[in-house]
Amino acid sequence: MTAVTTTRPADEIVPAKRRDPLLIALWITLVVIALIWIAPFVFIFFTSLKSNAEVMSSSAFAPPASVHWPNFEGAWRNGDFGRTLINSTIISFVKVPLGLLISAMAAYALARIRLRWNKALVLFVLFGTMIPFQVMLAPLFTLVNGLGLIDTYVGIILPYLAFGVPYQVFILQGFFRAVPKELSEAALIDGASHITVFRRIFLPISLPVLAALLILDFVNTWNEFAMALVILQDSAMWTLPLGLMSFQGQFSSDYGQLNAAIVMTVLPAMIVYLIFQRYFVSGLTSGALKG
Amino acid sequence: MATVEIADVRKSYGSVDVIHGISMAIEDGEFVILVGPSGCGKSTLLRMIAGLEEISGGRISIGDRVVNNLPPKDRDIAMVFQNYALYPQMTVAQNLGFSLEMAGLKKPQIRTKVEETAEILGLTPLLSRKPAQLSGGQRQRVAMGRAIVRDPAVFLFDEPLSNLDANLRVQMRAEIKALHRRLGSTIVYVTHDQIEAMTMADRIVVLRAGIIEQMGTPLELYDRPENMFVARFLGSPSMNFLKGTLAEGEEPALVLPGGDRIVLASRPEARGEIVLGVRPQEVTIDPVRGTPARIVVTEPTGADTHIVARVGDTDVTCVVQGRVEEGPDDIIPLSFAVPSAHYFDPETEQRIDAAGSVLELAARSQRAVQ
Repeated sequence: MTAVTTTRPADEIVPAKRRDPLLIALWITLVVIALIWIAPFVFIFFTSLKSNAEVMSSSAFAPPASVHWPNFEGAWRNGDFGRTLINSTIISFVKVPLGLLISAMAAYALARIRLRWNKALVLFVLFGTMIPFQVMLAPLFTLVNGLGLIDTYVGIILPYLAFGVPYQVFILQGFFRAVPKELSEAALIDGASHITVFRRIFLPISLPVLAALLILDFVNTWNEFAMALVILQDSAMWTLPLGLMSFQGQFSSDYGQLNAAIVMTVLPAMIVYLIFQRYFVSGLTSGALKG
Repeated sequence: MATVEIADVRKSYGSVDVIHGISMAIEDGEFVILVGPSGCGKSTLLRMIAGLEEISGGRISIGDRVVNNLPPKDRDIAMVFQNYALYPQMTVAQNLGFSLEMAGLKKPQIRTKVEETAEILGLTPLLSRKPAQLSGGQRQRVAMGRAIVRDPAVFLFDEPLSNLDANLRVQMRAEIKALHRRLGSTIVYVTHDQIEAMTMADRIVVLRAGIIEQMGTPLELYDRPENMFVARFLGSPSMNFLKGTLAEGEEPALVLPGGDRIVLASRPEARGEIVLGVRPQEVTIDPVRGTPARIVVTEPTGADTHIVARVGDTDVTCVVQGRVEEGPDDIIPLSFAVPSAHYFDPETEQRIDAAGSVLELAARSQRAVQ
């Protein structure tokens, strides 16, 4: 074949610059919503750096005239952060990975191992997501108390698992079902057991969804208040949100310290979010099948 | 390498039977192709051999072992899937080596075997890539490599070429055939593409609705289809069928419902209504013995021209060499008087032998052997 080269003047191939009005509207909406969400955090952050006198005298969204670091020191001491931070860390770092592992294994079994009662089991799990936990608070307290687990890590982690797992199982089994069945069949023919298929094939390709669930679950667990309030009675076992509560009662006049405490509470959740958000990339499964 | 024996195998999902008792024996080193339309049970049968579907009844043996209750990994088989099913997060080398790793081989052994296989399939430069970075044909090769590397007793292919474009399909067809010659292994291959079946198979098994319609070598099936389904399924363009009544008289002829008379080259062993089957390549333009036909459309393919013309109320296809002058609505005389014409019973669709046709067939197969 002969190559035909056509030369074109450069100005001919410049595409017309027209933006879709719908896109512009979406962008504006996005920016407005972002501002609404960011506003409280700006307010909290600025206030945490102001002395009490400045809080009273300046506008809420005005940046601090001079940075008042002692707020953080005072908040740490008065809110007993040393203890509540450790409690929250232990509970979240045990519960979140453990919950995800249990959910993922259950979801794999539901999605990939043929059982007689599969559909009924999925419905049963789904039912677990439908009970509002407020309804369960009183029976839950009775149960945990009966087991002698009030004021223990196990006592709070078990109910957290019970309420977190069904939702995650539901999401993950949907995701696992969408994984082409040939992939697990190929692995089974290659000599892998279900455990190996789960560990070597399913876990790696579901990293994005696992990361998303991990972030959601971590933030939820870190901020959980009502169940912790009921089960953790001893202030030595309190988590960060409980610590904040006591704070508000005792030092309600010191807005600088209160907001410093809030910043310190939110910070770890934000760090976890920033670490795992990069796994949100989609397309990890592309290339497995025809494309 | 091993034989595969399938004895009265059945499959039902609840009360729906999809395979109604299939029996066949596949010899050691044989390349058998299961072919049939969608939903005929060919993939299900393959998956039962693989152990991915339970066997509702009957017995499957690989080598001298009955494998009915063995899990897939213990059957000594390898399977190539239509959509390749490569592990997306692993490199080509890891994909190829996965089964060896599962078998507990040491790292250096795995590397040697993977490199050997990659060499056979020309995958050596791609070993460190991930599936997403490969083209369709390369992925197909990796999928085949994953099967080869294990050196299994039986290879199972489930429509491996249907996701490739036409050129690549022709190329891979030749490669699979060459690979079979080289490895000498037993292959069971599923396809709905009759050309793949004709060109690659040692033996074709035509399935329909869960039963075997016919099995034999590609040319046996082509030359002597047992029924209209097999006749229609193999060969491209499809065989022409003309339904009519046998004329009484000296010269064998078929009278179509509209009154057109078609001259026959042999006399079928039947009376009354029959169906005549002639391949488009054997229909000729013959002013002496031809029946007038009105051209519907002509399709030049370059070397040949396909003419679709109407005889009575039936459209027939005729493949003639070279070009034709005539166009739509022109009348041409088409002759179906060839010794290799097939006759079928219009009720049962089964083959009716023609007097003398057995001799003719013997002579033809003699020629084929030479």
